[in-house]
Amino acid sequence: MKTSEIYKKEYDVIIVGGGATGAGTARDCALRGLKVLLVERNDYSTGATGRNHGLMHSGARYAVTDGESASECISENMILRRIARHCVEETDGLFITLPEDDLEYQKTFVEACQRAGIRADIIDPEEARRIEPAVNHDLIGAVRVPDAAIDPFRLTVANLLDARMHGAETLNYHEVEGVIINQNRVEGLKLFNKLNGEHVEVRARVVVNAAGIWGQRIAQMAGVNISMFPARGALLIFGHRVNNMVINRCRKPANADILVPDDTVCVIGTTSDRIPIETVDDMRVTREEVDVLLKEGVKIAPSLATTRIIRAYAGVRPLVASDDDPSGRSISRGIVCLDHAKRDGLEGFITITGGKMMTYRLMGEIATNAVCAKLGNTAPCVTASQPLPGSEEDAPSQSDATKRYSFGQRAAIGRHGSLAARIEKDNDIDNALVCECEGVTVGEIKYAVHQLHVHNLVNLRRRTRVGMGTCQGKLCSCRAASLMGEFRNDVKGAQEDLAAFLDERWKGMRPVAWGDTLREAQLTAAIYEGLCGLDMAVNMEGKEDVQ
Amino acid sequence: MRMDTVIIGGGLSGLSCGIALAKRGKRVTIVASGQSTMLFNGGSMELLGHIDGKAVTNPLEAIATLPQSHPYSKIGADRIAELTERAKLMLTDSGINMVGNAAANHWRITPMGVAKPAWLTLSDHLRIDDLNSLPAKRLALMCIRGYFDQPNAMLAQGLRELGFEVDTIEFTTDDITALRRSPSEMRATSLSKHLMSNNALRRVADQINTLATDADMVLLPSVLGQNDDSDIQTLQSMTNKPLRLVATLPPAVAGMRMMKQLRHYFKMLGGNYLMGDSAVSGTFEGDRLVSISTAKLADMPLKADNFVLASGSFISRGLIADYERVYEPVLGVDVDADSNPDAWTSFGVLQPQAYSRYGVATDDQLHCLKQGKPVSNLYAIGSILSGHDAVKMGDGTGVSLMTALAVNDLIIKK
Amino acid sequence: MAERMQSCNLSEHNFEQCTKCSICTTVCPVAAVTTDYPGPKQAGPDGERYRLKDPAYYDKALKLCLNCKRCEVACPSGVHIADIIQHARMRATLGKKASLRDTMLANTDLLGTMANLVAPVANATLGLSPTKLVMDSVMAIDKHRTFPAYSRQKFTTWYKRHAAKEQDAYRNHVSYFHGCYVNYNFPKLGQDLVKIMNAVGYGVHLLDKEQCCGVALIANGLYKQAKRQAHTNIDNIRKAVNTDHRTVIATSSSCTFNMRDEYPSMLGIDNADVRDNINLATRFIYNLVDEEKIKLVFKQDYKRRIAYHTACHMQRMGWQLFSIELLRMIPGLDLQVLEQECCGISGTYGFKKENYERSQAIGAALFKSIEEAQVEAVATDCETCKWQIEMSTSLPVENPISVLADALDVEATRQANGIK
Repeated sequence: MKTSEIYKKEYDVIIVGGGATGAGTARDCALRGLKVLLVERNDYSTGATGRNHGLMHSGARYAVTDGESASECISENMILRRIARHCVEETDGLFITLPEDDLEYQKTFVEACQRAGIRADIIDPEEARRIEPAVNHDLIGAVRVPDAAIDPFRLTVANLLDARMHGAETLNYHEVEGVIINQNRVEGLKLFNKLNGEHVEVRARVVVNAAGIWGQRIAQMAGVNISMFPARGALLIFGHRVNNMVINRCRKPANADILVPDDTVCVIGTTSDRIPIETVDDMRVTREEVDVLLKEGVKIAPSLATTRIIRAYAGVRPLVASDDDPSGRSISRGIVCLDHAKRDGLEGFITITGGKMMTYRLMGEIATNAVCAKLGNTAPCVTASQPLPGSEEDAPSQSDATKRYSFGQRAAIGRHGSLAARIEKDNDIDNALVCECEGVTVGEIKYAVHQLHVHNLVNLRRRTRVGMGTCQGKLCSCRAASLMGEFRNDVKGAQEDLAAFLDERWKGMRPVAWGDTLREAQLTAAIYEGLCGLDMAVNMEGKEDVQ
Repeated sequence: MRMDTVIIGGGLSGLSCGIALAKRGKRVTIVASGQSTMLFNGGSMELLGHIDGKAVTNPLEAIATLPQSHPYSKIGADRIAELTERAKLMLTDSGINMVGNAAANHWRITPMGVAKPAWLTLSDHLRIDDLNSLPAKRLALMCIRGYFDQPNAMLAQGLRELGFEVDTIEFTTDDITALRRSPSEMRATSLSKHLMSNNALRRVADQINTLATDADMVLLPSVLGQNDDSDIQTLQSMTNKPLRLVATLPPAVAGMRMMKQLRHYFKMLGGNYLMGDSAVSGTFEGDRLVSISTAKLADMPLKADNFVLASGSFISRGLIADYERVYEPVLGVDVDADSNPDAWTSFGVLQPQAYSRYGVATDDQLHCLKQGKPVSNLYAIGSILSGHDAVKMGDGTGVSLMTALAVNDLIIKK
Repeated sequence: MAERMQSCNLSEHNFEQCTKCSICTTVCPVAAVTTDYPGPKQAGPDGERYRLKDPAYYDKALKLCLNCKRCEVACPSGVHIADIIQHARMRATLGKKASLRDTMLANTDLLGTMANLVAPVANATLGLSPTKLVMDSVMAIDKHRTFPAYSRQKFTTWYKRHAAKEQDAYRNHVSYFHGCYVNYNFPKLGQDLVKIMNAVGYGVHLLDKEQCCGVALIANGLYKQAKRQAHTNIDNIRKAVNTDHRTVIATSSSCTFNMRDEYPSMLGIDNADVRDNINLATRFIYNLVDEEKIKLVFKQDYKRRIAYHTACHMQRMGWQLFSIELLRMIPGLDLQVLEQECCGISGTYGFKKENYERSQAIGAALFKSIEEAQVEAVATDCETCKWQIEMSTSLPVENPISVLADALDVEATRQANGIK
């Protein structure tokens, strides 16, 4: 549907926010037969959804401090293994006790896990060293739990795809400028289309605020007050996997105590610092944060001291403030659903917040329940049993794929599950690799551009992993930019997009620009500036960071 | 093993210095830890392209205005003119045919269609001497089907902005189609291997002759002639229009060709080229370097009267940045670099980056300094020198050639 | 900050140092001739990241890698690309049985022992067309291949009968790892070495026990057997070095490379205590001359024009300099150093029917440059390069030691070194 037609339609519900929660809510609403519009100010999954560990918690981490969250986690964990197979890697996790930690805590921990219904097996340190050789060999205790890795970009896209298959409309790069209120009732939103500079209005019977930390601003526009608690967390990405299981510290949650194997890389995190709400858009990682992450990270896996770091990034947890705890860790990760009619006397407005990326489905269910209650819809929620597109029962597994397909095709099946069948692969050119690190083919890029709402190279990266390998887009970004320019018939735009993409990659590399990452950066500069003169072809001044 | 001179680094600067010395009858060994950054060179040498973002028209004049810390100033701005002539001669002797004038930059055309100032460009590559008088009116830009390391649309757009009329013409041949069966290996360098035989070139020529009928000059991505320019000449003889090559994304065939020709010439002059070995340490006595050890020669160090450090910048691991500092890893000589890592880089990717000006510290005769004192028989040349910026000033290849020849003179004079 | 935090990247085979510059792809002889092979970058560091994620990403095309190591030599970042590929192969094929053909080809010494006993018959049989056809179709050994002729007398037999007795009389001593080729196919090279070493005052001894170095076993995935033989060799080398105080020298660059570098990296055998004492003959002799411990005197009327071909493993070791500089000592020798290109044989690779065409295509550039070089012969330190070049060009190929022996004025050299 054309964007202009979308503006004209009357919706049952508009969801603000294209993170996992918004996407999950949109899917649930659509599956229950509502007319749905989702709006996102940047690209999908640019907020906290795309800026975390990629960890599918078993809930064990919260078992001691927050039993309710722990129970939610384990139940969602089991659901996601079924409905989002192609986004999940069943790695299992270890909670290790180091000599500096109190082994007594392990007992408390295991008991709490059992209370929450989380399988937690104490294993011998020797066994832990055997099943996960990367672990600190000095460990004195280990517990095995059903943690897993999950790809939040894929998860969000799969939810959006399913919502769209069930009639929902989605608009990215549409920022909320105002809330349309008529006699204490929210009737729609004023939007700014960042792609063409238009100001438009969209209307619905209910608006769901699923904007994460930015939800406070949305609420303000509606004249209601929510006090968010912005807790910033920084993380480091290493160039390849050193571990194949999630490794956590068995102690009270603290800095840099989880190492997660994500796709071809691994991620250590996080720090936790309270920040002023005005600074939530500044995602620069500082030297001090890198220091903390490294110092603590090597205690989990000593080889991190000599493993290349390819990026640093930070995200902001959207917690609802309840007290003055400066660390933010004792606050419940629990889900908060506010019906502003009851709370503030404002009809047609619901805020869904708190929670975690991995409880997004449950948050969607709760929000949808609230929407349905208002609209008198009685359809049951089916998101816990119905697989997401890509994860259907007959989706090929990696071992099936090995026998028949090329590297690029296999990598694509790993990313898109059964949806990889939509990628053209019948001729040599479609099978040609664009991104060699991550095995992204011309066919996959075509698919992403035409079917997954890709407007720029950064979007393309989130859908396909283009430029997410160790070279951070050195070879592939030019190839991808030319292809995008061709598909979109915009050459000058492609050059600017290329420069913006390299800039976005550099933002993550700069805090860790030493060793081979600095070499990589110098080579990128030699190619794109020295050889190609990209810096002379585009003007970057005054350009906003591309999201 | 004893040599007259041992050169650490086998790229443009190391080879140029080696050739100059070997020509004077010196026994020279080059230790090269792998292939060099010449494989990222699109077929041009730059003496000085930009100062503070402004294009330089007369490099020789502009060089005189550079600060004393710039390698050109150390050599002496007044000597550059003579050295450029000798460098050109050395390239010609190696079989590399380049055109250009040190007193007047011409424009090379980048893979993205940007015109950048250059001193020398391979004679078979597109070059514009005067933007007001283009070498052709209408260009046929031959685009190879399924080849993704040439951003054709950007190139065409850039050429149009320069005033050309451009027809973009997609083509393929059996050889090219066969190569594209590989998902990963359709690169400029592999195309050049597949387009070596007369038959393969004939098939390309047929496409050009059939498709490029309206143009008065034919452009082809630089995917021909990784050994010398004979393949291009063959193709030119089969076509009825003037033919020019345009640089591609790397690995670049033009750079590979120049590299091979220089290496071949160096070996012909009796030089030893230890490819794939790397210097690991040096033994100093007083103010002299006595010998260096390499990873592979192990217990048999290379002794020499003079040593030349030509091991390149960070890319080539001539310089190393770790978590805390920048250093030179082989001999531990002094470097010019900020001690605070936050100062190494700038926020925007296309802004000037401080690290690209880092390098080893030298005195005015390009002697390396160790703990502040010059080492009397150890010189630094090329990208490892501090005080220049190949990316933003376009002085990388020029510094390599000029310092190589200048150090040759210093060694010969001894 | 903890000691050495992020001071360097340590990863297996340095695979993390890869900056994806793609330089390795420009030198791969296999990718240059077939699109079935994904090239060293894709097969090596790129593929490895995915294999670390899931071993199922292993690609069978990796078996097309020659293990020539040219990618490693070209890599400006010190990544051991070929080792990454070979280890991936090893992980993927562990426990799988090698074919009869591969086992036969890999057991160069077993084949040699059998053939030696019946050399005239073996030579005739291996050369006959019907036999070749059977080998081609049943064994998948290409019919174009001629097995190197087997010598009637093994080198070790010759040594025991004609040389062993005199060796103790010399002042200095070395042990000689002759390898399969010298023993079964070309004893003359061993004899040449004894001649040179004796002339400069060195007695040449054999190891107490020597087995095939196993380079072909590794290439054919017979890791267990390779490991057994490697242990035997290292044990005997250890005895020669530690008990007899002798350096062990070899005339084959592949045996030398294999025992020094592949034993630890591919087979996990610790040879650190003796590695420095496993030397190549040309390097050993060059060093003696360089340190003025010996003198070489050459025939005055010697005049020859020879081209030197750097074998892949020689280049990987980085020792071509010694062979080249040693040959350059011969006043009457006009030496031309060829561009470093792979000949395509890579041990047993080129013998396999499925690889034959590829093997010849890989070597084509080298063959052309040899034919154009206007030389009388080619010198190289590798025996399989010798077979390939002799089969594919019109020129004879010699080991530098044989060239040296030929040019040496033995009597004058003995006098110069004070040997009676």
